[in-house]
Amino acid sequence: MHEILNVNGLSAGYGPLRVIHDLDLTIKAGERVGLVGLNGHGKTTLFYAIAGLTGWQRGSIVFNGREVGGTRSQGPGRYTHLIVRQGLALMPQADELFHGLTVEEHLDSGAFTKTAWKTRKQRKERVLELFAPLRDRLKTPVSRLSGGERRMVSIGRGLMVDAKLYLSDEPSLGLAPKIGIGVMEALLKIDLSGSAMIIAEQNVALLEGRVDRVIGMHAGKLKGEASLASSIKRRKA
Amino acid sequence: MDIEFILINGIVIACIYGLIAVAVSITWSSLGLLNLGYGFIFAFAGYGAYVTSRSLSEYPPVVLAAGVLVGAVGGVIICALIFIPLHEKPNFTVRGMVGTLAISLIGSQGLLWWFGPRNKALPEIFGRWQVEIGGTVLTSDKIGIVVCSIVMLILIVRWMRSSRRGLEIRAMMMNPHAASIVGIGIRKTGFYVMGITGAMTGLAAVLLSQTYYISPFSGITPLIKGVSIALLGGLGSVRGAVIASVILGFAESLTSTVLGGQYVLITQFLIIIAILMIRPRGIAGILDVAREQ
Repeated sequence: MHEILNVNGLSAGYGPLRVIHDLDLTIKAGERVGLVGLNGHGKTTLFYAIAGLTGWQRGSIVFNGREVGGTRSQGPGRYTHLIVRQGLALMPQADELFHGLTVEEHLDSGAFTKTAWKTRKQRKERVLELFAPLRDRLKTPVSRLSGGERRMVSIGRGLMVDAKLYLSDEPSLGLAPKIGIGVMEALLKIDLSGSAMIIAEQNVALLEGRVDRVIGMHAGKLKGEASLASSIKRRKA
Repeated sequence: MDIEFILINGIVIACIYGLIAVAVSITWSSLGLLNLGYGFIFAFAGYGAYVTSRSLSEYPPVVLAAGVLVGAVGGVIICALIFIPLHEKPNFTVRGMVGTLAISLIGSQGLLWWFGPRNKALPEIFGRWQVEIGGTVLTSDKIGIVVCSIVMLILIVRWMRSSRRGLEIRAMMMNPHAASIVGIGIRKTGFYVMGITGAMTGLAAVLLSQTYYISPFSGITPLIKGVSIALLGGLGSVRGAVIASVILGFAESLTSTVLGGQYVLITQFLIIIAILMIRPRGIAGILDVAREQ
């Protein structure tokens, strides 16, 4: 399978702070990868670097056959919309919702790219099948939703486009265990033909045996990798 | 003292300054830019309408449209000169404010140099008729000002509620960081926002020119009032700005009738200080509905 993402020698951070150190990572089409690591070790920064949202970055990020990285010292977010239009769906940590917009407007905003906008009705239907509780809440402003519903909106917004790469940052964070499992299940259901997904997660138990690879992250570097086979083996033992 | 007179004047003032206040509010919350360049846009649009009325046609809709269009062009110019080069530099809030203030001052001096210090008058746009309702005389320009600004405001609010671009601007107003995550380009949106708010200021300029003359520095007072009204409304809330402009409009017309015009700014700022002391977030803080449990 062809490569969706090829990160080579990436360093990134904010101001004087260097969070990611010389990191290499390759993701192939069809892969669902778990990214595991403690708080503050660079999972979110890695996602932000791919989206061009860090304060500065250096190194190569080839996304979908195009260089989107390079050295940059200023202007976080300046090229983000172009990278997103290349087919990146970032479902950020802490949801990053628009507090005054309704659920429906959020889903519309997820389909902001020109091609997706025209078919946003069908896309909304697809997301609502995945997250049924949102169906009665379409006209409600998100500031009145519960934490679990907000997470569904945030992830649903990411699923409105046909992305090449889905980046989901801590989908179960701060949710009741049962709801967290439900959200994770929805992410695992998404069809990945021709695209790939990285799920950053602290709760390894939620990922084990259900993703193709688990990569550990420690102090801004990737540490160790467990394939699907080995994680299944460990589970049986 | 004439209650009806005060009420009508208050509404007329509220309409004109409300347009500028809403423009300031939208720019601040979507672009993070406290745009003090509206003073220049105001005068620029006034002169644009004046030149059109002299050289092209005195037909009222043409003059009105010229003011709105030139205002929009002024907004786009400020966006290209200030917002685009500065918006990703550190400390953009202060730099942007200083930059737009510079545009306001330089632009006004430029108009002074080009057109000279003599005041210019626009033709009468709304004719010279009047209606009498319950013993109160409403002149054509007052009705025209109120109708035009309310129609403009409603059009803009509806456009922002229903269109793709409107969704883009509202998303930027609420969370610029998340807006870039869903693929909204800051620079392009900046041009839309500044164009539209410039058009609102242009309309305000043409409407106010029915009462006052156009001069190179005619935009400074409306700018001060627009910014202070936006501040009272909570900087960033369209509804807050509208309500604040009604409050301050009545305050202004009451003060100028009872005490005299020179006290207008004093009472206005006293009201603003009093409200902001009790409600630090301005009127928007009162309007916000917390999550119902």
